[in-house]
Amino acid sequence: MTHHEIEPRHHFDDELDEIRASLVDLGTMVLANIRWAGEVVVENRLDEVDAVVEADAPINEKYQELEEKVFHILALQQPVASDLRFLVVASRILYEMERSGDLAVNIVNSLERIHGIPADTTLQSSLDRLSAASATMFARGIEAIATMDPEIGLHAEAEDEETDNLTSDLFTAVTARQDELGLEASVALFYMGRFFERIADHGVNIAQNITFAVTAQFPEDY
Amino acid sequence: MTDRIETHLGTTEEGQMAQEQANTSTTASDVAATSAEDSDAVRTSGGDPDDLNPVIIELENVNVYYDDFHAVSDVSLPIREREITAFIGPSGCGKSTVLRCLNRMNDLIESARVEGGVNYHGVDLYGPNIDPVEVRRRIGMVFQKPNPFPKSIYDNVAFGPKIAGYKGNMDDLVEQSLDRAALWDEVKDKLDESAYALSGGQQQRLCIARAIATSPDVVLMDEPASALDPIATLRIEELMYELKAEYTIIIVTHNMQQAGRVSDRTAFFSVDIQDDGERTGRLVEFSETATLFTTPEKQETEDYITGRFG
Ligand SMILES: Nc1ncnc2c1ncn2[C@@H]1O[C@H](COP(=O)(O)OP(=O)(O)OP(=O)(O)O)[C@@H](O)[C@H]1O
Ligand SMILES: [Mg+2]
Repeated sequence: MTHHEIEPRHHFDDELDEIRASLVDLGTMVLANIRWAGEVVVENRLDEVDAVVEADAPINEKYQELEEKVFHILALQQPVASDLRFLVVASRILYEMERSGDLAVNIVNSLERIHGIPADTTLQSSLDRLSAASATMFARGIEAIATMDPEIGLHAEAEDEETDNLTSDLFTAVTARQDELGLEASVALFYMGRFFERIADHGVNIAQNITFAVTAQFPEDY
Repeated sequence: MTDRIETHLGTTEEGQMAQEQANTSTTASDVAATSAEDSDAVRTSGGDPDDLNPVIIELENVNVYYDDFHAVSDVSLPIREREITAFIGPSGCGKSTVLRCLNRMNDLIESARVEGGVNYHGVDLYGPNIDPVEVRRRIGMVFQKPNPFPKSIYDNVAFGPKIAGYKGNMDDLVEQSLDRAALWDEVKDKLDESAYALSGGQQQRLCIARAIATSPDVVLMDEPASALDPIATLRIEELMYELKAEYTIIIVTHNMQQAGRVSDRTAFFSVDIQDDGERTGRLVEFSETATLFTTPEKQETEDYITGRFG
């Protein structure tokens, strides 16, 4: 016969682990859509816009399901200390992820509005670099959740400067070609830049929230 | 599973006959067989909120009196198999009274009278041919204060099966019951020592081992952790969570947070004060625990769980 001892709150710990695993899963779904949106924009794949938009639906579903789970655990389990920080942070992270998913949709919708990016290598490579940097920052956030490494959040802000710079580069490139591009395309490109930049910010926020969950302290310039 | 349920609750000859009739023609065993199938279906299909575990005990318009005093009024609620159901509510609202109806413990109180139906696998527990001792074997009980016998740890567990005429290997049964109660490792080297030498939390787990040694399918617990420190309490809660894989558990608790932590469904009882000052208990709301603690249906429930009343 095999025997067992009982650990208090074993089942609660399982629930917390499950939430963390689900956050990583949801983050990975969002990241896939962010990368896809980037490719669609850079390569002008207008025929894939609808598919990207549709891929946001399961993200929203999972987001809602997890929000409810976290809410119930908060109501029923009276978490304290690190458990409480983790669950409050989980709820914030869910919001950051859901917003990031929406931004990927906004990006492809902007592309559709202007019927594709003008064939301009400078613009295209600028967008390419920006979308890649933005996805990388978002991936940092997921990495932070998966590892619960508070260091990632401490360096996230500095790391994010690259996205900020690439966004400025894009804006400069658009401004230089404003006349050829026309008002509508220029504005749409500005927005896309802003969307990618915001996705990166969400990645930073996610990583910083993990730092708080682990250390009880927010990185300084949060 | 099925043969456990089909065990006759009646032991009188009449009872046997009534039961056999029931078995061949109808209800008890049919209900039992279906519930066994249903519960498998529930466990394999998962997820769907409409998939409910089968009802194992159904209270129908239960009223309890102590002499002329109307203690509990008109309680109807289903208890579902392999779930933890919690009873909460202010002192005197009748939680313990209702709990005792579920295994006829009220029989032991001379003034108590139970009206209405308490159906267990479709069989009325208060029917004329039901043997209350057998009922208590199927529906065990754990009390607020750990109450082991003044005997060895081993004997505490072996006692119930022994008087029930258990024919198997007693050592194995004792070991298995203690292990299910997550106590084996702590007591395996001192089975012959007095149960009183154990800590309160260990004694309570011993009482749980004792309750499950007779293979009940329902375990009633009346404030099982209120005499324990917080960690021993969480251990009991964790144990309950483990036990619900095999047993149906009904717990009375003063600790609302505990109801939140452990239970699947919660029944909230309250007391009405009559014109003559009589205090009669009443079921206010019975919901899934997650619902009751996040969006209760009744204002009365909200007031109680937020600490505004009671
Ligand atoms: N043996 C008894 N004889 C007479 N009256 C009783 C008896 N047991 C309980 N009562 C009364 O029945 C009512 C319900 O009591 P019960 O013990 O069921 O309440 P409870 O909800 O379990 O309260 P608590 O939370 O204090 O344990 C109370 O008014 C109580 O005084
Ligand atoms: Mg009581």
